[in-house]
Amino acid sequence: MAVRPLLEVRGVDKSFGAVQVLRDVAMNVFPGEVTALVGDNGAGKSTLVKCISGIYPIDAGQVVFDGRPVTVSSPKDAAALGIEVVYQDLALCDNLDIVSNMFLGREKRSGIALDEATMEQMAHRTLASLSVRSVSLRQPAASLSGGERQTIAIAKAVLWNSRVVILDEPTAALGVAQTAQVLELVRRLADNGLGVVLISHNMNDVFAVSDRITALYLGRTAAQVRTSEVTHSQVVELITVGYTGSIGLLPDPGSYEGMGGRS
Amino acid sequence: MRAAPTQDEVRRQNLGALLRWVHLHGATSRAELTSLLGLNRSTIGALTADLAAARLVAEDTPKGLRRAGRPSLVVRPQSASVYAYAVSIEVDRLRAARVGLGGVVLDRRELPRPRGVQILETVAPLAGFVREMHRRVPAGAIYVGGGVSVAGMVRREDGLVRLSPHIGWVDEPIGIALAAELGGDQPMTVGNHADVAALAEHARGAAAGCDNVLYLYGDVGIGGGIIAGGRRVTGHGGYGGEVGHMVVNPHGKPCGCGSRGCWETEIGEAALLTAAGRAGATGRDAILAVVDAAERGDTTARNALRQVGDWLGFGVANLVNIFNPEAVLFGGTLRDVYLAAAAHVRSRLNEMALPATREHVRLRTPALGDDATLIGAAELAFERLLADPLDAAGSPVPPPR
Ligand SMILES: Nc1ncnc2c1ncn2[C@@H]1O[C@H](COP(=O)(O)OP(=O)(O)O)[C@@H](O)[C@H]1O
Ligand SMILES: [Mg+2]
Ligand SMILES: [Zn+2]
Repeated sequence: MAVRPLLEVRGVDKSFGAVQVLRDVAMNVFPGEVTALVGDNGAGKSTLVKCISGIYPIDAGQVVFDGRPVTVSSPKDAAALGIEVVYQDLALCDNLDIVSNMFLGREKRSGIALDEATMEQMAHRTLASLSVRSVSLRQPAASLSGGERQTIAIAKAVLWNSRVVILDEPTAALGVAQTAQVLELVRRLADNGLGVVLISHNMNDVFAVSDRITALYLGRTAAQVRTSEVTHSQVVELITVGYTGSIGLLPDPGSYEGMGGRS
Repeated sequence: MRAAPTQDEVRRQNLGALLRWVHLHGATSRAELTSLLGLNRSTIGALTADLAAARLVAEDTPKGLRRAGRPSLVVRPQSASVYAYAVSIEVDRLRAARVGLGGVVLDRRELPRPRGVQILETVAPLAGFVREMHRRVPAGAIYVGGGVSVAGMVRREDGLVRLSPHIGWVDEPIGIALAAELGGDQPMTVGNHADVAALAEHARGAAAGCDNVLYLYGDVGIGGGIIAGGRRVTGHGGYGGEVGHMVVNPHGKPCGCGSRGCWETEIGEAALLTAAGRAGATGRDAILAVVDAAERGDTTARNALRQVGDWLGFGVANLVNIFNPEAVLFGGTLRDVYLAAAAHVRSRLNEMALPATREHVRLRTPALGDDATLIGAAELAFERLLADPLDAAGSPVPPPR
């Protein structure tokens, strides 16, 4: 496809003290697509997300957004670019209703004071664009199910014209029916034109909604592949040993340079 | 050489195009309609006036931001007062709805259908639903007709439904029976479930904007709705798209149709439940229970989903090679099976389908959910209105109150 990535991570290194957690990591995120970010526990997925969203500074490499190299040194910088992260621990205020939760902490950031009617209208429009019909705007967050909380957290992320939404294990704590709804919502975000990154351990979730898969292995990019080009067992191999057939980080340590990050 | 279209034909076509646009996309400003339909401003003004006079659309001044100059009027469908009846005869339930222009469900009724209730026995309760809803229709509302979605093979000509209970094939005139019971002046248009759901998803759902679509609907059996080049493919008699009876396994299990190894014997409800050690269970809740058990680590349930997911991918690969669709939608219980077994569906598809046909195919679940069959059944009735808005609006007589 001739479409340019919306977000490009190039050659990113990140160490905590003496421990190098990310090494020469690459990932491309395209508009209108879901990129699944997969890897074993400790592979570096969450760290990569925190580097992209300005929580951790990177030691080397580049983040390119919409074709421009950018420096993201705080979540505020990320939000200004239109990069939003939905974390697993869903920070909603139980005593506030849905509208207030969707605007919580955002009014100030945008610098404009919004009246209740405008906020309600914006919340309504956002939920409608995501075909969310199961909740009412003035319902307190305490009354929401886990799946609905996840839905509101996602809606909050797209409220301000975000362009890239990153979801860290959004279905991990959910039951079957709610997982299905959240997966459909993830797909809809991309179908509405956003670039979406989905972190998941569940291969059915990954194959159900992704267009591309980026596999991390021990802090390196093992491969970036199209979901239409690989099988389940190949992705499992990329995750567990870093390569499959001729794709990925070849076992011979001398030959893996140049293989990682090939798309 | 064909004669040039008459002025009347052109006008009818333009009226239909404008009404179709707002029916599918909702309120649209005159300025946008002008550029979308490629007509000039005064033509749009005249068409809108005609449709408004027929009470099919209304015009509003846009709310919200006021810019300098005169704002372009917004044309919206009269969803609350232009309506069709939609009836959906499913394996496990019976539903009826009143659907407004624009695809808005205005009222609905639902009843479980115990397995074994014959199709003609569903006519009385369904007609009852319609009469009940009809008592609440506001005065002056415009009835455009009725559509029926049925889990069975439908003859295009007259809406005759062919069913295959275990005793053999039987033909049931459901559209005529419903109309007779309701006392309207026209039979309701009947469509097969998957065809009708495909129509709805293509019009305003997950396949909007796609001209080549494959909709797979799962319940006891597997139905297929095919849209190719923007048109529904239903075959010579209306019986096409029976993908559930595509033979995938010549050494497989006998099928209710009399053949052996049909796709639905590998991916239908009974196949999954039997593989999961739950032979005899039926219905969507039983399917969801298998998905839930698999999620909790039940190995038998996992293996059953893997096996069915694999066969699902096997059939989709064949169909993708034949039709080269932009989107494949998994509806009914196949939605739950797809989401829970997508790794296996995709893997088999990727191994079997040609790179050229699989690389751009989107695998999706329906956006309209269970409403697709109701909205699609209503769409069958709206079709007549859209073909000739000013004529059809007056013609069908609604059921008596
Ligand atoms: N703040 C930190 N300080 C030191 N080590 C960390 C820190 N955050 C993560 N790590 C280490 O980095 C590695 C990658 O962690 P993480 O990014 O959370 O992986 P994943 O999300 O893929 O499971 C792990 O070995 C983890 O212990
Ligand atoms: Mg993590
Ligand atoms: Zn058969």
